[in-house]
Amino acid sequence: MKPPPLLLGATLLFWGWQSEFLVVGAILGVVLESAQLIRTRWEFSDEDFARIWTFCALLLLASALYAFTANEGPASFGGFFSDANPITTTRASSATARTASAMIRWLPMLFFPFLAAQTFSTREAIPLTVISLIARRRWKKLTPADQSSPLARLSFHIGYPYFAATLLASSFHPAEDKSFFWGLAGLLTWMLWAHRTRRVTLVVWVGLVALAVALGFAGQRGIGSLAGYLQEQNPQWLTRFLRRNIDPSHSRTALGQIGDIKTSGRIVIRLRPKAGSAPPEYLREASYRVFKSPGWFAGSLKDDFEVVGEDPPNSASFPLLPGKTNSASINIACYLDGTSTNGSPEGLLPLPTGSGRLENCPAYVLRKSSLGAVVAEGPGLVLFDALFGPGLTMDLPPSLNPESNEDLYVPENEQAALDEVVKELQLRGQPPAQVLPVVAGYFAVKFTYSTWQGRDRGTPGTTPLSRFLLENRKGHCEYFATATVLLLRQLKIPARYAVGYAVHEPSGSGYVVRLSDAHAWCLVWNETQQTWEDFDTTPASWIAEEARNRSPFRWLSDIWSRLKFEFAKFRWGQSKLRQYLLWIVVPGLALLLYQIIFRRGRRRQASKRTDEGFITQWPGLDSEFYQLEKQIATRGVLRKPSEPLNEWLRRVAENPALAGLQEPLRALLRLHYRYRFDPLGLSDADREALKQVTRACLERLDRAKP
Amino acid sequence: MNFGLKLIYRAERLFSWSKYWTLRRFTRPGQAVLGAVMAAAFMGLDTESSVGYQAFTLLLALLLVAVLSGFYFRARFTVERGLPRFGTVGQTLSYRIAVQSRMPHPQSGLALIEDLADPRPSFQVWRDFKLDETKHVRPFRLHQRHRRNPFKFATVKEVAVPSLTTDQPAEVAVEFTPLRRGIVHFTGVTLARADPLGLFRALRIIPLPQSMLILPKRYGLPPLALPGALKYQPGGVALATNIGQSDEFVSLRDYRRGDPLRHIHWRSWAKTGKPIVKEFEDEFFVRHALILDTFTERPHSEVFEEAVSVAASFACTILTQESLLDLLFVGPQAYCFTTGRGLAHADQMLEILASVRPCHTQPFDLLEQLVLSHSNAVSGCICVLLAWDEPRRQLVRKLKLLGLPVLVLVIRQTGEVRPLDPGPMRDEPERLHALEIGQIQEQLANLR
Repeated sequence: MKPPPLLLGATLLFWGWQSEFLVVGAILGVVLESAQLIRTRWEFSDEDFARIWTFCALLLLASALYAFTANEGPASFGGFFSDANPITTTRASSATARTASAMIRWLPMLFFPFLAAQTFSTREAIPLTVISLIARRRWKKLTPADQSSPLARLSFHIGYPYFAATLLASSFHPAEDKSFFWGLAGLLTWMLWAHRTRRVTLVVWVGLVALAVALGFAGQRGIGSLAGYLQEQNPQWLTRFLRRNIDPSHSRTALGQIGDIKTSGRIVIRLRPKAGSAPPEYLREASYRVFKSPGWFAGSLKDDFEVVGEDPPNSASFPLLPGKTNSASINIACYLDGTSTNGSPEGLLPLPTGSGRLENCPAYVLRKSSLGAVVAEGPGLVLFDALFGPGLTMDLPPSLNPESNEDLYVPENEQAALDEVVKELQLRGQPPAQVLPVVAGYFAVKFTYSTWQGRDRGTPGTTPLSRFLLENRKGHCEYFATATVLLLRQLKIPARYAVGYAVHEPSGSGYVVRLSDAHAWCLVWNETQQTWEDFDTTPASWIAEEARNRSPFRWLSDIWSRLKFEFAKFRWGQSKLRQYLLWIVVPGLALLLYQIIFRRGRRRQASKRTDEGFITQWPGLDSEFYQLEKQIATRGVLRKPSEPLNEWLRRVAENPALAGLQEPLRALLRLHYRYRFDPLGLSDADREALKQVTRACLERLDRAKP
Repeated sequence: MNFGLKLIYRAERLFSWSKYWTLRRFTRPGQAVLGAVMAAAFMGLDTESSVGYQAFTLLLALLLVAVLSGFYFRARFTVERGLPRFGTVGQTLSYRIAVQSRMPHPQSGLALIEDLADPRPSFQVWRDFKLDETKHVRPFRLHQRHRRNPFKFATVKEVAVPSLTTDQPAEVAVEFTPLRRGIVHFTGVTLARADPLGLFRALRIIPLPQSMLILPKRYGLPPLALPGALKYQPGGVALATNIGQSDEFVSLRDYRRGDPLRHIHWRSWAKTGKPIVKEFEDEFFVRHALILDTFTERPHSEVFEEAVSVAASFACTILTQESLLDLLFVGPQAYCFTTGRGLAHADQMLEILASVRPCHTQPFDLLEQLVLSHSNAVSGCICVLLAWDEPRRQLVRKLKLLGLPVLVLVIRQTGEVRPLDPGPMRDEPERLHALEIGQIQEQLANLR
């Protein structure tokens, strides 16, 4: 079945309007409907159609890839597979929905070549085997006799499937007004009009369509209201539950947890020091001031963020500490794992202590806190150069008022244990310069690094930290860092708890940082230099200890990690590959297009009206008499296979509705027989008479149509 | 397991019925709108990002209006069907149906649908078929031959009926393609009329029970020098009327004492004045046994169907030559039908073959006994076998020991490339043929 003229053009225009591709829709519509004026048709074979179909399928594939990457598909699915939880599941499903939505909206564009090919071809129907591999395989397996059977090869016209797909594509947008409904109603009415039955009067038909449209309108309003009501009832707890758990305002530690701390060897950061620069020892993500077991909190500075502007504008250069001289530079690649309120990726940047400036940073928005945390909003993977040097840091100096100074705050329940250590080390009253080496030595000698905590809870009523300090004296970096910070604060030396990563594993020309390199250490205030300095008391053996837990198949996961990293670079536009990829596809598509259009042997045909004649093989087979026979057969007087024409005409004459045609039909039959079988053929005048009389009879039949 | 199977059977029945109902009740645009309603219902679930729900309500309303406006159809018709006696599997045939309206007003926009008997099998039959399928069909194989629904009788194209007036009947030509052999039952004719929107159809069912026998598919055979056939038949055989042997007139001779009176040639006696008698000579005709192997465990075996087709091809072809043909097979009991030489015609044998069913209950020995008991009367055997296992080889071996020439045709599934072990046919490997489904016509064409 073929759509009526102009319907597809109008549908394309409607799609363009609804999907905000108005120009594209208009152009496609005009190109398609120009077939009404342009009479030239091409003779496409099945093979040509198959090739055009492949071309459309390739376009679909390429656009699927593009839509998937442009809608955070890889990142969302990576998260879903590596760590399936409600947040990653939601992100993956929303990425899928966005991809599917984009794809459906592009459908009319993607499959237009196929529609245009059929419209401008001489073929009315295309076999299903052209587009369906399964149908093709089944057909090929049939015997030659079965292959020629009409049942073996179903044919179709792409018009109505395309019409449906275009309407579907038009529906993928939020409801702003009722334009979609009225447009759809108009187009459907047009379609139904073309196939309406003549049995009922126009008034009845219009009345029924109007009734259906009115019912539909009332129904869609009802559904709209219901959806609005359900949205209002959306449980609040669900939205809270799905919120991203990213917060530079607090850090939960594993203090007091029993058992082994599991760490992952997944590579999360890649570093490449610039020429002449040494790599930093630590990459800090955040620091905290207030300890409330088992967590560290930013305290009063938790909301103290300011936006860092690009300087100069649009230079991708962000001054974190304007005016600071930075002696070293390092290239950092890291993932932004969180999601900002507007849906784009967001995360804390791991930076070397004393970072003064970020360059070539693709972040859309950068914010820094007075506790040295830098939050970036940007693509899922960021590669940037961090310029850093000793001296000034972004961290706010400690408050001068000792009463309200959170950098000196020690929880009361930890003070007894800390006092005991201070007493043991005889540190009370010592200057900071002497305290630090003693503390470092104390932890290095008397404590051991362990990720395992036994079930022994020690003396009842003691805190995990005091047990660590006084009883078992073993723990992981969070114990060491927390104990050191609180010990220093007990001695009135301002200190903070810092989290981030230790850099120690070279890889190629740079370094890699794994999740297992996550580390906590201490920031201590240098009164003379007026700066915060890193102070790490975790025994150096922790790196070796972590290495012992290494899986023998880490190399495999490293290769996988590298592949993911390279793909992420491509996906987030951090490599040139993405630009080149389109150019890789282009020659393939161009070759296919060339094959389709300029293939040797393609014949261009001037259009022939189907009613102007049949393909002539035998003399007289193009006689117009056959049309008349076909017409009369539809009136219920079929000619039997072996029935002579004059016998059949006698039966035709018996039909009262056709009785008036008896004489002209007899004359026609004589002409027809002569045209078919007379070796001399018909003279021009007789041939013309055959045409004229047939036309007259056909017109009479048309007029007499019940 | 039976309960689970029954559940699946019920579901399949329901699905098949709903498909049948949808295809009958909805016009092509109606089917498209129905599909679109389902798609829009799915797409419209997310009312925030898509306006598919608007399409859903509009399309649903259109269908609703169409159903309400088109359900009622009150008209009376008389219908007459000119059905041929036979059809052949896979070959489209055309017949006429005359429709006449009994209403005062003209009726237009009608479509005629043939109603065949419900092809859905009983649970027992369905279960046997499904269990057999799971044993023999490997799932997820795209390259396997697509198997048609073995229960479907035929495909019949729906035809548009011209406008009907009260006094004038109209004729329509119906195209009918049988899909399986046996008897096809027609229950009636349905006249369908679309609603004003052209989506839904009202139906008027006119009972018109009739049946037609569908003959097995036949293959073209090359001219065959069958085993045991004589190359030259002295005197021709067209006059013969007896089975196996008959008397052939040779000459006239003088009467000898003891000659039967009915052999006296009276006109010669009148001419010569002495009794002259006609002399006859016994003549032996070529008589072939066509042995059809029906022993398969599968309830709907494609191999068996092809074997029947091959047997039918021989039954048709050999009768055109001058010989007798015995069809030997085992059904509920052992059967032997003889055709040729004025006894019966090819179509009668085809009728028998149209109704042959696989044999699950009898042992293979029964066929062997049947064949051996006929062996003294036949001059050659054509064996159409479903396998080439030891019992079958044993049968062929015994026939050969009796000195009968044998042509063995073994039907095999597609893709079975392993060559057959000739066994008893080792001395005549050219008389053992493996016919692979899908290529039987080509392989039969190579027979010599």
